[in-house]
Amino acid sequence: MLAKKTPAREEAPDGGAGTRRDALGISRLSLAVGTGESEIPLLADVTVRVGRGETVGLVGESGSGKSLTARSALGMLPRGARATGGVTVSGVDVLAAGYRELRDLRRTRVSMIFQDPRASINPVRRIGDYLTEGLRARGVPARGAAEQALDLLGQVGIRDPKGAMGRFPHEFSGGMLQRVVIAGALSTEPELLLADEPTTALDVTTQAEVIGLLKEMQRAHGTGMLFVTHDLDLAAAICDRVYVMYAGRIVEESAGASLFGAPAHPYTRALLEASPSVHGGRAEIKAIRGRPRALAEAPSGCAFRDRCPLAGDECAETVPAHRPHGTSLVACLRPEQVTP
Amino acid sequence: MKRTRADRAGKRAFAGWIGKRVLGGILTVLLASVLIYGALRLVPGDPVLAMTGGRRLTPDQIEALRHRHGLDRGFVQGYLAWIGDALRLDFGMSTNYQTSVTSLITNRLGVSGPLILYSAVLAVVSGLAVALVSAVKGGLVNRAAGMAAAVTTATPTFVSAIGLLALFSVGLGWFPATGAGTGLADRLWHLTLPAVAMAIVAFGVLARVGNAAFAEELRREHVEVARSRGVGAAAVIRRHVVRNALAPMLTIVGLLFASLFVGTAVVETAFGLDGVGSLLVSSVSRRDFPVVQGIALIAVLLFVVVNTLVDLAMPFIDPRVALGGAGR
Ligand SMILES: Nc1ncnc2c1ncn2[C@@H]1O[C@H](COP(=O)(O)OP(=O)(O)O)[C@@H](O)[C@H]1O
Ligand code: SF4
Ligand SMILES: [Mg+2]
Repeated sequence: MLAKKTPAREEAPDGGAGTRRDALGISRLSLAVGTGESEIPLLADVTVRVGRGETVGLVGESGSGKSLTARSALGMLPRGARATGGVTVSGVDVLAAGYRELRDLRRTRVSMIFQDPRASINPVRRIGDYLTEGLRARGVPARGAAEQALDLLGQVGIRDPKGAMGRFPHEFSGGMLQRVVIAGALSTEPELLLADEPTTALDVTTQAEVIGLLKEMQRAHGTGMLFVTHDLDLAAAICDRVYVMYAGRIVEESAGASLFGAPAHPYTRALLEASPSVHGGRAEIKAIRGRPRALAEAPSGCAFRDRCPLAGDECAETVPAHRPHGTSLVACLRPEQVTP
Repeated sequence: MKRTRADRAGKRAFAGWIGKRVLGGILTVLLASVLIYGALRLVPGDPVLAMTGGRRLTPDQIEALRHRHGLDRGFVQGYLAWIGDALRLDFGMSTNYQTSVTSLITNRLGVSGPLILYSAVLAVVSGLAVALVSAVKGGLVNRAAGMAAAVTTATPTFVSAIGLLALFSVGLGWFPATGAGTGLADRLWHLTLPAVAMAIVAFGVLARVGNAAFAEELRREHVEVARSRGVGAAAVIRRHVVRNALAPMLTIVGLLFASLFVGTAVVETAFGLDGVGSLLVSSVSRRDFPVVQGIALIAVLLFVVVNTLVDLAMPFIDPRVALGGAGR
């Protein structure tokens, strides 16, 4: 399966997601809400693996299902959703876990950083409360939690950590708040960090700083990270491996570094061409025609075919299976026409 | 140090803000007092004749009455004399009871005060409990609670009073029908039905408004984030939902006191309680203006004091309500 055939990383023993050594193993996860006629599929056959200490990107336009995938690692499925497939975090079966097991998993093994730090922290409580809340939930005594929180604030570059502990979120900039959130996420020494567009709500200069900090902290703590973004360039630059997602499915998996030179899926190439940082000039940016689709409204066969310049009749027949091409695993019938 | 200077400036701003709020409260009470006094002077015909209700008095007696109520003076002088006395807690003499209005009201507060508090506690505890449980559970529980809130809000207090009397007092005989009782336990027992009758509408309002406030807080992203961090379900509710709904709740509870004070008029009359509310009703019908004025002024004062306290508490409950919000 997907995880086994991908080059440039260690062999996964059971050939799929969910080995004990992996921080995260999502295998063939499908999600749907509603029943019968009104069933809405949200994710189909999503397989994502994050090894210990590995940085893995999850890229796609908005609505492609990135957040749903990342949240599934916390056992946070949409209300009334049915799931098939498997989700394991450090060997714990998340989909089968009850309230207590999930709570303990979240306390100790997996942390998530959300898009908007200002919405993530309770506005009427102090920064110190936010940090110690996570530590206290883990069973750290009050004194120790306060000391650890101070230390963490220093580590993420907050000036005057002591004063910061007593201040409220509205007294901080978005970038500073995201640093606080990062400190909180790492305070529990998780094996897996889920970062869902952690810089999208920040201004450009702060983005680079926060990414740098995130990578640095991740390295220092040896945490595996699933980095969710709509920015393929960013993902390719900082990730060991990248999954490209479209309409609730993974359409390509590739080593981060080889994405720029050798995209295998037409969608990946389109994302690269639409990106301003690869093509310096404004005129060269090519927007992807059409609009992104959710799984529920995607065409039959290859979901990308209504936007794909290479689409042919056979693309409508079945959902393309994943197959190796170059350094990628790709779900497309004609990857050789993208990169020979 | 920079911070201490900022702190000192902050404290000064805070003191100024408190000053403004208190001053605003005092002005409100003064304005209301002008209206309350003015209402007496605006009674059609001669207020003294209205007071005496057509009893035959000698011209001397009438003149004495006019003098006692400052009606022989101009509006401004009469008002100043009245408010001056009121500031010293002297609201004059009751024309009906021939005793000082102040002692009359003070005595009656011994019944109305506990009644209002009792009723407020019942309404707040039950209303907010139902609001929270229904917001958290959702679904059928939420719909049932919504219906209960709608029905109780729409039930006039006198209807509740009659219903409770018929059922628990006349029917089952669990509670007395009249009187306020003596001693703490006996008084609580006597005040239970009236307090419940008054609390019913307030319960509905709190259940509904509280439900909306809790539901809104439950939808906030930081609530989900807290859950994603493994904070226990009960702690999430306490620290991220109830805590955040405190500010809007406190505002409503503040308003509630004023409406309960007004509610005593109906309930005390229905249950034969000698409280401020029934005193107001009888004084209005007997045209005992000094008493009516005194009660009205105390009601306004209570309303303003409670609301000012709520305002002053806000910055401590929600730090985003900047102390500098004084400007607004
Ligand atoms: N609870 C839900 N019920 C129905 N549809 C949902 C629900 N949550 C998400 N979706 C849909 O699933 C798709 C993927 O959502 P999401 O994972 O948030 O996308 P992304 O993070 O990639 O922008 C979207 O079209 C969204 O509307
Ligand atoms: S399968 Fe066909 S439609 Fe789909 S991406 Fe490949 S070429 Fe395009
Ligand atoms: Mg998203």
